[in-house]
Amino acid sequence: MRFGIDQYPYLDSPLHRWDPRLKLIGLMVLIFAFSFVGSLYLLPAMVLVTAIVYVISRLPVSFMLTRLRYPSIFLLVVVLLLPFLSGETVVASIGPLDIHREGLVAVLLIAIRFLCILTVGLVMFGTGPFLTTLKAMRALGLPAILTDMALLAFRYLHEIGDYLHRMETAMKLRGFRGRRFSWRGLKVLAWLGGSILVRSYERSEWVYKAMIVRGYGHARPPEDEFRADTTDILALLGIILVAAGFVVGDILL
Amino acid sequence: MHIPDGVLPAAVCGAGYAASVPVAWYSLRKINQEQNPRENIPKAAILTAAFFVVSWIHIPVPPTSVHLVLNGLLGAVLGYYAFPAILIGLFFQAVMFQHGGLTTLGVNAIIMGVPALLSYHIFRMRNIGGEADRIKTGIFGFFAGLSSIALSTVLFLVILIYFIPAGLDVEVERSAIYTLALAHVPLMFIEGTFTAMVTIFLQRVRPLLLARS
Repeated sequence: MRFGIDQYPYLDSPLHRWDPRLKLIGLMVLIFAFSFVGSLYLLPAMVLVTAIVYVISRLPVSFMLTRLRYPSIFLLVVVLLLPFLSGETVVASIGPLDIHREGLVAVLLIAIRFLCILTVGLVMFGTGPFLTTLKAMRALGLPAILTDMALLAFRYLHEIGDYLHRMETAMKLRGFRGRRFSWRGLKVLAWLGGSILVRSYERSEWVYKAMIVRGYGHARPPEDEFRADTTDILALLGIILVAAGFVVGDILL
Repeated sequence: MHIPDGVLPAAVCGAGYAASVPVAWYSLRKINQEQNPRENIPKAAILTAAFFVVSWIHIPVPPTSVHLVLNGLLGAVLGYYAFPAILIGLFFQAVMFQHGGLTTLGVNAIIMGVPALLSYHIFRMRNIGGEADRIKTGIFGFFAGLSSIALSTVLFLVILIYFIPAGLDVEVERSAIYTLALAHVPLMFIEGTFTAMVTIFLQRVRPLLLARS
């Protein structure tokens, strides 16, 4: 089972080369500026900035399209419901149902903001190894407990995912058919979940002992592995300026 | 039950982060007060990954199937580690599956994490009046699972419907919250029962896993 957010860390683009700490700060500021936008007039600029960021990242378009598949279901529900439920100004009718202008505006805002934030998020985590991004978060001051937990959880996520897959296959081979709800079936699934927790717990005891042997908790903290040059800082200032432009623009419009 | 990016106004997203910081700080403070907090980090981390994976188990509810949230079980097993675990889980979901969001991470952490901490305290009550047997573990496990998902559902619906930036009619808002909350009642019972079954299983097979509660 592979999740592959960092499928393209080897590409060579300005975003791949950007100091991961500054990339996190810059793109998070941009994402928050996007979520601030409430004016329809700023939407084309938002799409343009997102497209520029994505093109600069040199990530393939297919990467973005595959990633959009799941969240699009939510978008579909919003698009289908809001125009009918929200607002008062009727612009069209389908049988007994009225489509409202305010609902359409809300749908447009939500959909564009959603897609732009999602795309910038993909660039943020898709242009470098995920572990490097987690280390950059630690370098930015995220508590060690959180980063240690995240690094270890990420390390074992794939393995435990594969384990679940193997156990489900084994259950099917032994005749378990979980298509209909039954209390017995729920109990079998609960025991499956419990087994995964027990095995993971036992694994964690070994992992902890192995970490202690390697000096966990006593080793000197690693030297800061990130270096930001002038170009990195200028890029950060540039992106903050763009983000500020959206916020100011939204206040003025 | 995760609010995606772009749905909530920036102020609400910011408020979500602002609210989750003190909860995370409090949880980390409690963790640091433990005898050897470093020893439990690998355990909590690998169990975080395990919970993440267990939540992929699909429960058939014809005509479809649902996956459980398990924040009640997480609280019962991990105690104060539950909030950092949920933060990490939500972050992974947002980054790897684009489920939830980066701007809404704080809001989603409050929706999932605060009920998990509540469940931890509910589940701990099984020890009142002596060591918990299988029946008490099952009963408190059920209520821990049910109450956390119930609170998460209410928080989710209230935040989503009140803060979605569209002029929804107050009556429509209220009836939407009631209807959607009622639609979740069977799932709450399933989640509660599942939590009870897993906690009983853990008590029989590996009681150390429940030692924190």
